Amino acid sequence: MAKDLSTDVLVIGAGPAGSMTAKWAAKGGARVLMIEKRQEIGSPVRCGEGMSKSWLAEVGITPGKWINLEVEGARIYSPSEKVFEINEKHAGNEVGYVVERDGFDKALAIDAGNAGVDIQLKTAATGLIRENGRIVGARVKQFGEPFEIRASVVIGADGFESQIGRWAGLPTNLALRDMDSCLQYRMTGVDCDVRYCDFYLGEVAPGGYVWIFPKDHGLANVGIGVQLSKIRGMAEAKTYLDRWIDAHPAYAKGKKIDMVGGGVSISKPLNQTVTDGLMLVGDAARMIDPLTGGGIANGCIAGKICGEVAAEAVHQGTPTKEFFQKYEKGWRAKLEEKLFRNWLAKEKLCTLSDATFDKVIDALADVRLQKLTVHNILKAVRDKYPEITKEFESVL
Amino acid sequence: MPPNKRSLHIESSGQLCIYCGACVGVCPLNCIYLDETRITFDEKICTRCEICVKACPVGAIEIG
Ligand SMILES: Cc1cc2nc3c(=O)[nH]c(=O)nc-3n(C[C@H](O)[C@H](O)[C@H](O)COP(=O)(O)OP(=O)(O)OC[C@H]3O[C@@H](n4cnc5c(N)ncnc54)[C@H](O)[C@@H]3O)c2cc1C
Ligand code: SF4
Ligand code: SF4
Repeated sequence: MAKDLSTDVLVIGAGPAGSMTAKWAAKGGARVLMIEKRQEIGSPVRCGEGMSKSWLAEVGITPGKWINLEVEGARIYSPSEKVFEINEKHAGNEVGYVVERDGFDKALAIDAGNAGVDIQLKTAATGLIRENGRIVGARVKQFGEPFEIRASVVIGADGFESQIGRWAGLPTNLALRDMDSCLQYRMTGVDCDVRYCDFYLGEVAPGGYVWIFPKDHGLANVGIGVQLSKIRGMAEAKTYLDRWIDAHPAYAKGKKIDMVGGGVSISKPLNQTVTDGLMLVGDAARMIDPLTGGGIANGCIAGKICGEVAAEAVHQGTPTKEFFQKYEKGWRAKLEEKLFRNWLAKEKLCTLSDATFDKVIDALADVRLQKLTVHNILKAVRDKYPEITKEFESVL
Repeated sequence: MPPNKRSLHIESSGQLCIYCGACVGVCPLNCIYLDETRITFDEKICTRCEICVKACPVGAIEIG
């Protein structure tokens, strides 16, 4: 075992959260090694490829060739397919791009590489190294060869599969109601509208939704997320998605050219994402928005903070749990309140009946809302369907 | 396998499994591991809680 390595910061996983963390740690002057178990960064894709755009500049990402198209808004369909449109005017910058996710992940890895990060593929972490109660590195396997990588700071950016957090003893396990099972087809020959990302709510996707994210004229990602607590049998994500497609001629006539699946956390923020020698970031830290299921933006926003704190810890020789509170506080200041609020909203929304959903969307569709505020939404519902106001109020 | 445990089978030869990793992430005991297109499953730790069965979007995991 001649190969053992050492570095300042070891980032495990080269998804968006890992690449952002690695880049900002390197920019902070640390020696950074990022390892990725796959042979190709960004592939296979496990993503609907929709994301908002307002946060990109803040974390230093320049829009690139990975953008398929820019949408004008989102359309929310109730169970009886009443439509509520959210556009840039009243949602601020919440709407955004449909992207080529493998290209996006590679672009971030290239940024990291250009900032000085060493990147090694086909290198999987198989365990953590612990000394005197602190994490001081990871055991890895590279092209089948086992060796050790020592590091002052270890970053778990290993995505939803998240082994690192569990190995470190951090409480990352989730309740059934806080997880979604997802499946998506890329379909060609469909009648999608390139101006909108579409969401279908209600019993068509228990506890989740069906999404249509257009990639081009006639080409779209058609996917579903179903809440685990609402699943009774096998292959339900596929069963529900196939059923939805069959019921929609504009999509039933299309042809599938790709299929991706995966798990998504729809939980409230974790209580703890750091320990001595280690920080978690992105899906590994359960940072996905529990209402939308989107995790790219949050992973990148937290990744920048994580990388900066990692570099500081290296310079000051303080890779301790106490020092990493700076990261805990930093990412929470940006994300926690919204994550928590959206988790509460999700908890309530998935208890609403299809009939209530219909009324809510109908009420919203009627009033051309100027700005999507809790007050405006409630007023619209109260004016049209006073009988459901009480049930719906608790959602907001 | 203890006699009181039902068997758990992951059809990971490619006929059903799409290597999405959902089962890996949801297992409370960390007994499934995915490396590109190879799944390893630790029979001994698994409690047959069936969470992975629910999470698998395509029905590649069966408990008998
Ligand atoms: C079907 C589906 C659709 C989605 N749609 C959207 C969407 O439209 N918009 C959105 O914003 N989000 C979406 N998400 C969520 C989004 O994909 C994630 O939030 C995002 O990928 C998180 O980035 P990450 O860097 O934390 O993790 P990942 O992108 O999962 O990256 C983790 C990386 O770590 C590697 N890794 C894992 N274990 C190890 C190990 N032991 N050693 C070395 N490397 C390891 C993995 O191979 C992977 O490359 C979707 C998710 C799913 C499943
Ligand atoms: S049955 Fe439960 S314990 Fe066993 S592999 Fe599946 S999720 Fe893990
Ligand atoms: S959840 Fe199903 S399809 Fe996905 S990796 Fe596990 S067994 Fe394979």
